[in-house]
Amino acid sequence: MALPSQQPVDYPSFKLVIVGDGGTGKTTFVKRHLTGEFEKKYEPTIGVEVHPLDFFTNRGKIRFYCWDTAGQEKFGGLRDGYYIHGQCAIIMFDVTARLTYKNVPTWHRDLCRVCENIPIVLCGNKVDVKNRQVKAKQVTFHRKKNLQYYEISAKSNYNFEKPFLYLARKLAGNADIHFVESPALAPPEVQIDLAAQQLHEAELAQAAAQPLPDDDDDTFE
Amino acid sequence: MDDLDKAILILFDESGAVDSDLKLKAKEYCDKIKEEAAIYRICIERLCFSNLVQVQFWCLQTLHDVIRVGYSAISPEERYLIRKSVFSIACFEGLDDRNVVRVLEGPAFIKNKLAQVLVTLIYSEYPLVWSSLFVDFLPHLSKGAAVIDMFCRVLNALDVELISLDYPRTPEELTVGGRVKDEMRQHCVSQIVRAWFDIISMYRNSDQELCTSVLESMRRYVSWIDIGLIVNDAFIPLLFELVLVDGLSDQLRGAAAGCLLAVVSKRMDHQTKLSLLQSLRISRVFGLVNKDGDSELISSLAALLTGYAVEVLECFKRLNSEDSKGISMELLDEVLPSVFYVMQHCELDTTFNIVQFLSGYVATMKSLSPLREKQLLHVGQILEVIRSQVLYDPMYRDNLDVLDKIGREEEDRMVEFRKDLFVLLRCVGRVAPDVTHLFIQNSLVSAVASPSDRNVEEVEAALSLLYAFGESMSDEAMRTGSGLLSELVPMLLSTRLSCHSNRLVALVYLETVTRYLKFILENTQYIPLVLSAFLDERGIHHPSINVSRRASYLFMRVVKLLKVKLVPFIETILQSLQDTVARFTSMNCTSKELLGSEDGSHIFEAIGLLIGMEDVPLAKQSDYLSSLLTPLCQQVEALIMNAKVLTPEETPVKVTNVQQIIIAINSLSKGFSERLVTASRPAIGVMFKQTLDVLLQVLIVFPKIEPLRSRVTSFIHRMVETLGASVFPYLPKALEQLLSESEPKEMVGLLLLLNQLICKFSTLVHDILDEVFPTIAGRILSVIPRDVFPSGPGTNTEEIRELQELQRILYTFLHVIATHDLSSIFLSPKSRGYLHPIMQLLLFTACKHKDILVRKACVQILIRLIKDWCAKPLAEEKVPGFQSFIIENFATNCCLYSVLDRSFEFRDANTLVLFGEIVLAQKVMYEKFGDNFLVHFVSKGLSAAHCPQDLAEQYCQKLQGTDIKALKSFYQSLVENLRVQQNGSLVFR
Repeated sequence: MALPSQQPVDYPSFKLVIVGDGGTGKTTFVKRHLTGEFEKKYEPTIGVEVHPLDFFTNRGKIRFYCWDTAGQEKFGGLRDGYYIHGQCAIIMFDVTARLTYKNVPTWHRDLCRVCENIPIVLCGNKVDVKNRQVKAKQVTFHRKKNLQYYEISAKSNYNFEKPFLYLARKLAGNADIHFVESPALAPPEVQIDLAAQQLHEAELAQAAAQPLPDDDDDTFE
Repeated sequence: MDDLDKAILILFDESGAVDSDLKLKAKEYCDKIKEEAAIYRICIERLCFSNLVQVQFWCLQTLHDVIRVGYSAISPEERYLIRKSVFSIACFEGLDDRNVVRVLEGPAFIKNKLAQVLVTLIYSEYPLVWSSLFVDFLPHLSKGAAVIDMFCRVLNALDVELISLDYPRTPEELTVGGRVKDEMRQHCVSQIVRAWFDIISMYRNSDQELCTSVLESMRRYVSWIDIGLIVNDAFIPLLFELVLVDGLSDQLRGAAAGCLLAVVSKRMDHQTKLSLLQSLRISRVFGLVNKDGDSELISSLAALLTGYAVEVLECFKRLNSEDSKGISMELLDEVLPSVFYVMQHCELDTTFNIVQFLSGYVATMKSLSPLREKQLLHVGQILEVIRSQVLYDPMYRDNLDVLDKIGREEEDRMVEFRKDLFVLLRCVGRVAPDVTHLFIQNSLVSAVASPSDRNVEEVEAALSLLYAFGESMSDEAMRTGSGLLSELVPMLLSTRLSCHSNRLVALVYLETVTRYLKFILENTQYIPLVLSAFLDERGIHHPSINVSRRASYLFMRVVKLLKVKLVPFIETILQSLQDTVARFTSMNCTSKELLGSEDGSHIFEAIGLLIGMEDVPLAKQSDYLSSLLTPLCQQVEALIMNAKVLTPEETPVKVTNVQQIIIAINSLSKGFSERLVTASRPAIGVMFKQTLDVLLQVLIVFPKIEPLRSRVTSFIHRMVETLGASVFPYLPKALEQLLSESEPKEMVGLLLLLNQLICKFSTLVHDILDEVFPTIAGRILSVIPRDVFPSGPGTNTEEIRELQELQRILYTFLHVIATHDLSSIFLSPKSRGYLHPIMQLLLFTACKHKDILVRKACVQILIRLIKDWCAKPLAEEKVPGFQSFIIENFATNCCLYSVLDRSFEFRDANTLVLFGEIVLAQKVMYEKFGDNFLVHFVSKGLSAAHCPQDLAEQYCQKLQGTDIKALKSFYQSLVENLRVQQNGSLVFR
């Protein structure tokens, strides 16, 4: 499989389908990988962007052709036609918008209709945002369907590699695969550091003119 | 191949060999064909004769759209044709032509798509038009595997597309789903079950894959069909046989176990359930799990046994008769050993369900105290299961120690994995505290003595158990060292671990000591042991930077809790921290390494807490403080002096360095109270003022560097707290710098600072505020929308969130101003120009904002302004036009129309509070404006809402009365009344 203007590669490559409600950050996510963004091929006619993302593992290089199926009108485009020959998939939802999580089962069903038994990762995106609507504890769908779940933040590159690593291991049938070299990622637009976040909030609380209880740290536990 | 075929192939091309112009043409061509009236004919025909999967898929997709959307436009005859054709394709009926393509021999995704199309037909035609569908299908099953497989796919599709409750459904879909189930239950389920049974009996040896598919689709139906069809002398023995026979494939055996699980989990009354569970003789399968392994079968069996145990436990809880309790406890005792075994010995994808069950089981034990011997045995086994599960694999020891990529991943995985297990541990700890104590102590003792190949992991696990267990311990128990704790903690402190150089061990050791500090509080003889654990190479001087930084933070917690008791040790502590302190602020550190919460800065906070105590004599105190502050300030001054000659490469390093220093000073100052600094020891205050002076220079020299700006801002926050009103002289310069070219995010930071100042000093900050208010108002009003934020897709962006944050903080700011006697700020000549837009904004927000609390804040602001600005009736107006604005706009729009809107939900607590404020506003308006208000409100407002005369009169009476509660409840009933009269018509929705 190759794409226009791209030479077919002589290392293993896989078609990866990315689905999920609009606005969940699918495009932002794949665009973090800079080489993929550089070589991407946009197919306006069928409303899909295909990004070839390369990763370097201890067993050699692999490529994911990421089919970012954004922005199709309801009855135009190929819709589930894009999934044909998909070898692995990412279902994305937005932890700040409950409805996008509610629709995950539907995306999963539509995907599995066309691609039976492929490895799938569920990604909860935007965990950098303060007002989460879907808490980690409420995410249970992956348990029912035996998917892998990761919390990610496309904007801060948080856990960017995790879904790809999981899929690579599953596809190779080898749990010992590791990425040996980080791909070039766009610099994070926001910093995520959960502990720092708490600290920051503590500083703000201090500023709110109310004396803090003496053992304020204990509230973090 | 004709044009349509070609166009479809081009459209589905994945090779990349097709250019986009051609693709566009192909798309237009296909779209045009879709518009044709007889499109369904084209699809069906092509489906039968084309052997290109892309073409088949396109046809099925198009057909699906036609049936879903345009079906009502198709004539009954044509519908019949569609039905008949789809059905015959699904049943493998050859049309007469010999060249016919057999869809059922194609790839799975085509067959699934066909199943989806058939289910869409079921949606609109079953049972009214096509009641015999399932019965018609059954005779075709004898044609063999292909049709049986298709039949399974149709049943699966029916489940996921229409019946299963795992998917979001519209009310209409739910109705249709219910109808389909009812009809099937009545007319064909028993025949379908019969078919399942026959197929499995017939094919179990020859086509195991097919039998697996049949069982998997059967599993989906067990929950809603008559259970008697499965639980009988034929089917249950068959299912068990499939599970138990050695020669069959794991998939088939697993699928049979899946069906048994569905049977076990079927909802029914508990007495019946118990009889069912008893009749299954589940012990038959125990032998299978005792063979170690990680097969698909073991996972299915684990799920079955856990599901079974869950149901038995449920029966035990729900049934009250002695007899039933006895039976269920017996069944539970029987199944538990296997559950433990599975969890301990088999690598399962997810042990989540088992842990959940065990938590449920332990929770049930709470009501059973004292525990029977058997239950105590189970408790011990559960603890052992937990211990064995939380052990790291020695294979990762080095990775975890240096925390490389693999190590980090393994640690993340383990942290996540341990969460549920530790919850379980704490449950056990509550039910059987002594057993748990003893277990942990023994684990620790045996871990310390364990051979080196397992030593690190065993010790880490034992300490982690002790740490996790402490989370649920009460303060009281911790202080007094209840149970074995008074032995455990001293043992922990005095044990020398051979593996202390290991990062994980060192970390969990320190965390655990910190967790049990309250015990030390009462047993101060152990303080020297605690201090050396933190100060020597086990803590802050540990070779791993990760450990030493964490140790800094934890040491700060130690100091916080024990500080008064540490006075005699201050000298020693400072001495041993000298090198650490110097390292933190040394000139050559890179930014990535240091920024973040665990940066080691807590050591300064710890020191500040120690030396900031009044118990330290003044002379000592100022010595300590100046020995820390002076070099730091000198470093900053040196940087400021050289700022102009810095090269672009040097700047980031210097910036980071200044940040570090500010963080350090900031942390240090936290230990000094306002009373000490301003009243009892002003000399100390002077030192901080000098520091503030130096740091404010940073804003001037590096004006646009956001991280520095926010660091200095947080230092000002601190100094407001520490220096009190003596900080005032520094504020004008600081605010001026912070205001210049600030982005929304920074503006939020600035408003927070102002809010702090207003809350702390009220009217004392009038002049300062008066100076900056116009700039702030102008800046914010030019960036935030005057009405609502855009919504819908694409609007959930970082920029919009920042603006929303800014808007929210603006309302807090205005609220704080109004409620701290500062409303005159709005009227000062420089700010007067913003009065009108601010009033409009407040009015709009009070009526329409989606956040009820924000609305409440705006109403409160307006109430306050009315009180401040309006004297008794007939006096001269202080703010011309304000009274009429309030009466004509606020009173009607906010106090009446916004509450008449049905979205104003009286059952919501926040809304009710808002309503209270709105009622209060009316009261205040009447007090201030008298009849001017009342007449307008009744004649314009209430009458527009078609309020009957008598109710309007009652309103006037209540308003003039003194009972605000009576007014509130009357007004609520009035609003509800008017809503009914409106009956959803007119403006109020």
